[in-house]
Parts: sequence; C-alpha cells; structure tokens
Amino acid sequence: MNGPAVTWYLCVAAFLFFTGALGVLIRRSPLIVLLSLELMLNGANLALIAFSRFHGRGDGQIFALTVMAVAASEVVVGLGLIVAMARRKLDLDVDKLRTLRG
Amino acid sequence: MIAAAWICLFAPLAAALAITLAGGRLTRRGAGYLATTAVGISFVAAVVTFALLLGDSPHDRSHPSTLWRWLTAGSYHFDLRILVDPLSVFMMLIVSGVGCLIVAYSIGYMDGDDEERRYFAYMALFVFSMLLLVQGGNLLMLLAGWGLVGLSSYLLIGFWHDRPSAIAAAKKAFVMNAIGDATMALALFLVIQRTGSLDFEKVFPQAGTFGGWAANLIALGLLGGAVAKSAQLPLQTWLPDAMEGPTPVSALIHAATMVTAGVYLIVRTHALFEAAPKVQELAAGLGAATLLIAGLIALVQTDIKRVIAYSTMSQIGYMFLAAGIGAYANSMFHLMTHAFFKALLFMAAGIVIHALAGEQDLRKMGGLRTLLPRTYWAFAIGALALAGMPPFSGFFSKDSILAAALANNGWYGDVLWAAGMVGTFLTGLYAFRMLFMAFWGEPSAFVREHLMTGSHAHAREGHAQHDGHETHMHTGEGPFSMTSTVTVLAVLAVVGGWIQFAGLWTLVSDWLDPVAPSLVDASGVQEAVSSIVAVLLGLAGIGVAWWIYGSRRAAAPRSWRVFERKFWFDELYDALFYRPAVLLSQGLLRWIEQPLVFGSIGEIAAGFRDLGLGARRLQTGLVRTYALAIAASLAVVTVVFVVVR
Repeated sequence: MNGPAVTWYLCVAAFLFFTGALGVLIRRSPLIVLLSLELMLNGANLALIAFSRFHGRGDGQIFALTVMAVAASEVVVGLGLIVAMARRKLDLDVDKLRTLRG
Repeated sequence: MIAAAWICLFAPLAAALAITLAGGRLTRRGAGYLATTAVGISFVAAVVTFALLLGDSPHDRSHPSTLWRWLTAGSYHFDLRILVDPLSVFMMLIVSGVGCLIVAYSIGYMDGDDEERRYFAYMALFVFSMLLLVQGGNLLMLLAGWGLVGLSSYLLIGFWHDRPSAIAAAKKAFVMNAIGDATMALALFLVIQRTGSLDFEKVFPQAGTFGGWAANLIALGLLGGAVAKSAQLPLQTWLPDAMEGPTPVSALIHAATMVTAGVYLIVRTHALFEAAPKVQELAAGLGAATLLIAGLIALVQTDIKRVIAYSTMSQIGYMFLAAGIGAYANSMFHLMTHAFFKALLFMAAGIVIHALAGEQDLRKMGGLRTLLPRTYWAFAIGALALAGMPPFSGFFSKDSILAAALANNGWYGDVLWAAGMVGTFLTGLYAFRMLFMAFWGEPSAFVREHLMTGSHAHAREGHAQHDGHETHMHTGEGPFSMTSTVTVLAVLAVVGGWIQFAGLWTLVSDWLDPVAPSLVDASGVQEAVSSIVAVLLGLAGIGVAWWIYGSRRAAAPRSWRVFERKFWFDELYDALFYRPAVLLSQGLLRWIEQPLVFGSIGEIAAGFRDLGLGARRLQTGLVRTYALAIAASLAVVTVVFVVVR
C-alpha cells in the first residue's frame, strides 16, 4: 500500500509545473503554449492527489477533478482561438498578436 | 361662499392646465373660448361670493378658509389658505371681470397667431396668479401669487420670442420685479421673526409692537415690492418696455393684474405701514414724484402704447399717493375706475393698431375719427375718464384722492395736493395729445394707404400676413369679440365711477371700511375745491392739447430731450449697476478665475494625465511578458512567505 514518500510525488509535480511554465514563457506557438499550460495544470493536479493520499482524505481528488474540468473548457476556448487565427491566415505566433498594447 | 371663492381661484388655473395638456387636440379658437369661459366662471363665482358676503353684517365679513397645511417648519406652519373679505372680493371682481373682457378681446386680436394656445394658457395663468395674490389668506400665499404674477408677465411680455427687443423687455421686467420680490421676502422674514406667523389676523394686531426700526424695515421691504410691481420710482423702467407684448397683455398688466398689486399690497398690509408713518409718507411721496415724471415723459412719447403705459404709471402714482396718506378706499376706488378706462384705452388702441397693420407710431396716424368712428368714441371716453372729466369715472375717483391729500394735515399734504393738481393738467394734456394726433385732422398718407384703399395688407403686429384669406380678414374696427368688449368697457368707464360720489354716497368706502378704515376724511369744502380745481386744470390741459395738436395739427413742438430720454433712468441704471457688474465679472474672470481656478484644476488634471501616460507603457500587448510578470511575482511572493515563516 505504501508507495514512495510524498516528497517524490511533489518533486515530479514541481518538475512538470516548471517545465510547463518554461514552455509558456519561451515558446511562441499558441499550440505549444496551450500544451505547456496543460502540463502546469497536471503538475498541480499531481500535487493535489499526492496530498490527498497523504492525508487520507478525498478533498484533493475532488479539487483535481474540478481542475480537469476547467482545463478542458480552457482548451476548448484556446483551440477555438487558434482555429480562428488559422482561418484568417494569421501567423501562429503569440508575439505578433499585440494590438492590445497601450 | 367659500366654495365660490375657491372656484373663482382655480377656474383659470384649470383652463391653463387643460389648454397646456390638450395641445393640438384643441383648436386655436377653442383655447380662446376655454380661457374666456374659465375666467368668466371666475367672475360669476366672484359675483356670487360678493352677493353672499353682502348678506353678512358689515363687521362679520371676514372668512378665512384653509385647504390644507402647506408646510411646517418647527413651530411655524403655513396653510394653503384664502381669505374672503370685502377687500379681496373687491379685487376679485375687478381682476376676473376686467380680465374676462380682455381675454375675450384677445380671441379677435390674436386670431391667426401661430401660438394662440400658448397665449391663452399664459393669460389664464396670469389671471390665476393675480387671484391667488388677492385671495391669499396669509402673507406667504400673497408672496406666492406675487411671484407667479411676475412669472406670467415675463412669459407674456416675451410672448413674441423671435423678437430680441421682446426678450430684453421680458428679462428687464423680471429682474426689476425680482428686486422687489427680494425686499418683500426679507420683510416677511422679519415678520416671522417678530410674530412667528404670516397669517393676516395674527400679524396685523401685533404691528404696533414691532419697535421702531423693525416696523420701518418691514414697511420698507413691503414698499420695495409694491414699488417694483407697480412700476413706481425708482423701479419704474420696466413698464414702458413691457409694451413689447401683445396689446391685450398690456391691457391685462395695466388694468386688471400686475401693476395694481402694489396698491393692493399697501392697502392689505396697511397696519404694517401705519406702524411706520415715515415709510407711509415715503410711499405717498414716491407716488407723487412718479405721477409727475410719468406725466412729463408721456407728453413726448410717439408710440401710442407707450403714452398709455406712462399714463398708467402716473395713475398708479395717484393710488400710491392715496394709499400713502391713508385714504385706502379712495385708492381702491381709483384702482377700479382706472382698470375700466385703462383697459378701454388699451383695447381701443389695439383696434387702431390692428387696423393699421401693427403701426404704433402716433406721428403716422391721424384722421382716424371718420374711419374708425366707434373706436374714436370709445377712445374719447377713455381719455375723458383718464383726464378726470365729469361725469366719467375718473372724475369721481381721482378728485376724491386729491381731496384726501388736501385734508391730510400739514405742508406735506399740500405739496402732494399740488403735485396731484399739476398731474391733472399733464393728464389732460397727454391724453388729448394722443387723441388728437391719432384721430383728428386729415388722414395721413399712411392711414389712407391702410384704411381707404381696397388692398388691406393686413399683417398683425409682426405676424405672418393674411394674404389669400380675404374672408377671414377683419377690416375696419375688428371682429365682434373686440368691438363688443370695448363697448362694455366704454359703458363701465362712464358709469363705473357713479357708485361713489364724495359726500353724498360712499358705497366703496363703506364696503372697505371694516378692512381698511381711512385715516383721512375730507370735508365737503375740500372735496368741492379739489374737484373744481382739478376739472379746471384738466380742461386747461385739454385746451393746450387742442391748441397745439388739435386745431392746427402743427408739427410737435421742439420736445425736451430730458423727457424723450425718460429722465435718463435707463442710462443711470446702466452706468450704476450694469456696467460695474460687468467690469467686476470681467476682473474676477481675469484675475481670480483664470489663474486660481483654471490654474489649479488644470495642473491637477495634467498630473494625472502624465501618470496615465507612464502607466500606459506597461501595457505591451505581449502575452509572454504578462506571463513572466505573473510568474515572477508568484516567485517573489513564495520567497517572501518562506523567508518570513
């Protein structure tokens, strides 16, 4: 029943999270950015579930399910945006979408 | 009786509201008939009230009636309240009766005007305001009516709102009246402070306890209001300019409503004035000065309506004189006869103006006697009554005022008497100068063009022409609504004075005695002397007028510039009040407002603008910088938490 200590899970979660954050920060393709966002969310999910298991309570799992639902909706919106960009034959480059600057 | 009084008060208001709300659903004529009917109902109600009041014993004729409590402030409270007593009924009869005739006359006079409905709504409102003023049961109601009268006159003087001169005249009237309203309101504050009430029956008995300066200030404040509303010196300059309004409006302002309000105020609050004898003497003096100055100015005016306007100022001067020396009944009696013959003069002049396509210049008139015979007779009756010739109404009322001045003890009464006598001469002169210039002699070229050729280019005073509506054109003396009302007034101007003949029967004095007992009582000799001298002087005035203007129809003698410029009152006020105020404002704008207000506000605004321009740079539009900012701040927050822990 006892697997590795909770610390290991957290290490993996942190690795996933920072990999995702790095992707969001340095990649310019909106598809990759969305992918990296998913990585970050899953890192957070892993941490939630690990703690849930560690404390022997179900709250964290419920939270993880909520995060998945949110992630799914976010991807829908994000992919929709990307499709819209592709239809207008815009470059798939987030740095070029800067009409909202002050 | 009370119900009749309330009906009398609210019928014109109801008509004004109905005309306003009905808008285009009511025909233009319908508006005129509605307004006339409403004011007629008022008159009938006033007559009913009068008849019922006549049934009471003379000292039990004061009936207040409260509709509801209007406002409460601490221990003070003011009611929406009217008072039916001999004085208010007397005024109700004049206001609604003469008012009804004038509104009926307007149906013909204003026919074809683009905004007849608005006109009749204003007229009804005007009559309502005046009725509120005279029926008000406390000084606050009186002040409310006072203000509404000012408003209505403003609206009607500026009725032809596309004429700059009419707008200027309306504003002038309103501002002049506002000065009087202000002094009156201040006086009322003092009355509240002294007595804690504004009800007539609570305030007047305490008038003697105010103390010297308070009594004087109160009376002065009220006198200020009366002087402004009645166009006496020194606030008289608005009245001649008010001739910019339609002629029936002038008749209404001069005869039934508005200018008589000042006289009514003095008579109504005579207890407050009697507590301040010096102010009362001042009122008489102002009246005497006004009647002389207005009479002199009237001698050289060339606009027929302006001559009549100055004659009103002059006649109101007589009323002030009488009210100032305590001859209240004589004052009110002259107010009544004046209402008849002044409305008659204005309406006859209106027919002349109507017939001459809006021309008001006396120098272009002449020879109208044969062309407008009935108007000529009406005008002549009005002029004779104005000049105080027996047996016309002005004779009875004006001479009793002069007799009262003579009966007033001391040199002051004699001076007033002399001033009034000179005024009688001037009255005869200017009244018949006007009559002779307009009606006698050969028809002038202008008159021939308008009345004797077939082509009536029949423009009303500055209105759209009626060309192409031959069937609707009124040639000659105007439609029935105009001639009939003038006839009624002509009869009243003859017989109206017969109800009181000093020494023999004194119906007016007896009627008003319970409310405002006279302070002076002229003896038979004084009456006789005054009457004879006044009639002789009036005849002399008429004779001089005939000598200069009637017999030879000579060109006007070299007129005196001081009269033509109206004693430079306008110029004086312009230099004294208007210009300094403009200079002061310009100085304030230049030296205070620009540097201080605009400077400080401008600097604050510029500071925020710069702040915004700086903050704008943060908004790059690059999604990744936002993400970096979020990540970095998250890192900082985490580090802070760890370190602090």
